[in-house]
Amino acid sequence: MKPHFLAATALAAALGYAGMAYAEDEDSKLVEPLAAYKSYVADHTEKLLENTTKFTAAVNAGDIAKAKALFAPTRMDYESIEPIAELFSDLDHTIDSRADDFEGKEKDPKFSGFHRIEYGLWTENSTKGLEPYATQLLADVKDLNHRIENLTFPPETVVGGAAALMEEVAATKISGEEDRYSHTDLWDFKANFDGSKKIYDLVKPLIEKDNADFVKKVDENFKVVDDTLAKYKTADGYELYDKLSDEDRKVLAAKVNVLATELSTLRGKLGLN
Amino acid sequence: MAHDPEAATDKPSALAADRRKLLLGLGIAAGGALVSSLVSERSLAVEDKTAERQVTDAPSSNRADVEQRVPFYGVHQAGIVTPRPANGMVVAFDVIADTPADFDKMLRKLTERIVFLTQGGQPPSLDRKLPPADSGILGPEVFSDNLTITVGLGDSIFENRPWLKHLKPKCLQKMTQFTNDALVAELCHGDLSLQFCANSADTNIHALRDILKNLPEYLVPRWKQEGNVPTILPDSDGHVQSARNFLGFRDGSANPHSSNEALMDEIVWVGQGDGEPEWAIGGTYQAVRIIRNFVERWDRTPLGEQERIFGRRKMSGAPMDGKTENDAPDYAKDPDGKVTRLDAHIRLANPRTPETQKNLILRRPFNYSNGVTKNGQLDQGLLFIVYQADLDRGFIAVQTRLSGEPLEEYIKPIGGGYFYVLPGARESGDYLGRKLAEAAAAGPPT
Ligand code: HEM
Ligand SMILES: [Cu+2]
Repeated sequence: MKPHFLAATALAAALGYAGMAYAEDEDSKLVEPLAAYKSYVADHTEKLLENTTKFTAAVNAGDIAKAKALFAPTRMDYESIEPIAELFSDLDHTIDSRADDFEGKEKDPKFSGFHRIEYGLWTENSTKGLEPYATQLLADVKDLNHRIENLTFPPETVVGGAAALMEEVAATKISGEEDRYSHTDLWDFKANFDGSKKIYDLVKPLIEKDNADFVKKVDENFKVVDDTLAKYKTADGYELYDKLSDEDRKVLAAKVNVLATELSTLRGKLGLN
Repeated sequence: MAHDPEAATDKPSALAADRRKLLLGLGIAAGGALVSSLVSERSLAVEDKTAERQVTDAPSSNRADVEQRVPFYGVHQAGIVTPRPANGMVVAFDVIADTPADFDKMLRKLTERIVFLTQGGQPPSLDRKLPPADSGILGPEVFSDNLTITVGLGDSIFENRPWLKHLKPKCLQKMTQFTNDALVAELCHGDLSLQFCANSADTNIHALRDILKNLPEYLVPRWKQEGNVPTILPDSDGHVQSARNFLGFRDGSANPHSSNEALMDEIVWVGQGDGEPEWAIGGTYQAVRIIRNFVERWDRTPLGEQERIFGRRKMSGAPMDGKTENDAPDYAKDPDGKVTRLDAHIRLANPRTPETQKNLILRRPFNYSNGVTKNGQLDQGLLFIVYQADLDRGFIAVQTRLSGEPLEEYIKPIGGGYFYVLPGARESGDYLGRKLAEAAAAGPPT
């Protein structure tokens, strides 16, 4: 999607950045990228709501095939804005937690959200008993949408989000444990990388001049990731995670670590604490 | 709330002052007791500082230990004939290096980190807005602490790269299953191995974290096993006997003497005339095996049986026909295995015949203790590390002879791998694997 630079200044004014305590001179250069990021997030939450509405409707209608088809694409909009979505930890917990987060695993009554529905659709191959989870998921996504609309984006979180997304992938996704029932992890990867790269691209003009080596290295590594994932592209998305070769998994693991290492300096390079 | 370490350090003295006030008050009330109680408190403090120590006061180390330094540069890498410190760790990695140029860069960078870590120094301090250069787990000064880091290359790094394949050492191969093995894929093999050994476990961990942080583009960890050697109280004459493994037996008694250079040249180091590629001279083969011990079952086995299984006495470590662990068993006098069973571990491992001299190996193991298995048993064992100039004649021959030994009831090899330990870096400016990298860059002979 195209960055919304045009709207940036107007948005910044509307969002009240100038009045924030941190918005000293140093930070005023961030106003534009932050506004652009906010509109990127807004687009994704809007699409997330749209798709979640269709996805949960399919679940509630007992249409397994349709629900399965909508699962991975719907998640992508969530995964690409995870640094922001995660600010609301209560919602992140009910929307995106995994069976591992609960002592009773899949059978734990508190296990809910995308992965609970995923478990039902793939492992139990049924929509029976999923309605309450679908209803809650839709309510949570609406709530998330609403909260994000009213959020002033903390610059540290946004800029730090580029690295945070890579840390997420490094710590909990490379193994293919995120979408373990559907094996649609590569969709999530793509969304995480895109989300990270979006942030990086938005602030890149601010640091490019003084950090040529850094920019070169990050660009190169994003490119390898893109090329690697592109090998697994299908007509309507991505291959299942089992198709990822050991070789490519190692390459992705290394690139994720490099990107996490490099992007961890992004905040400092922009003078943010 | 954040814990403020600066403030916390004031606490003990503040508390001590309070206590003195309290004592003072009591003293006044008790009249003559005042002087004596203060005096006794002070003299106690001088004689026995431990009485004043607080629960989280650090256990203290000593300068001689933390400043112990093993030279890095030399014909061979350190950490092989170097006496084992108390803590060891092996980590195997997958290597991301698609070109000879990347491979070369990795070796240079790895050498640079190893030099810094093993020789000690101060990491640079960076802008507070950036992640710090060092994990900080050893504090502002990184002490050498007897650290060695030994680099080996696995079969796969050669096999999977056309520009390295022709340079593979002749005995290097992928570890294969022996009869008693139950190898777990995630604990086996690797493109590159690092053996870390140091006085403290934290020094090893610090070094590993430093390397991961500095080489993320090249190294992806595959498996890791830590272990330790118990420290031993010297005998009254100052002699230190071999440490025990987790089966309670002394381990290392009959190891070839690592201080005997001529012997090491024969048993351990690859030399000219061994038929190895030129770049490999000065290196050695490393076999690593993660061998689980069924310790509960072992502890329920009669002592006599335990000793017959090994062919040594448990407490002294002496062979069945000897008095001390240094005595050599005389199998010639015992052809039927009446004293030392023919299938005893030490007899199979080293029959001590002229023909089996060529199978001698240098063992450098550590004990490990990981946790509890699904069956509710302790997950303990031996991080078995062995060095030899010829892998087939060394570890593989010995392990093949050991297959079927009675000890197998109590042990289960579950992981490990074979690696070729690079020759040493000769002097400042040289780096580990330089000759290999140069040969790789030159391309295969046409
Ligand atoms: C958990 C597994 C093992 C345990 C607990 C163990 C224990 C011992 C003990 C207690 C000794 C006698 C003391 C000594 O000389 O060090 C010994 C000797 C020896 N072991 Fe092992 N060992 C194990 C595995 C292996 C393996 C896998 C090999 C090689 C393939 C091996 C090769 C040897 C050799 C060569 C000797 C010296 C024999 C001699 O020269 O008399 N051991 N081991
Ligand atoms: Cu997620």
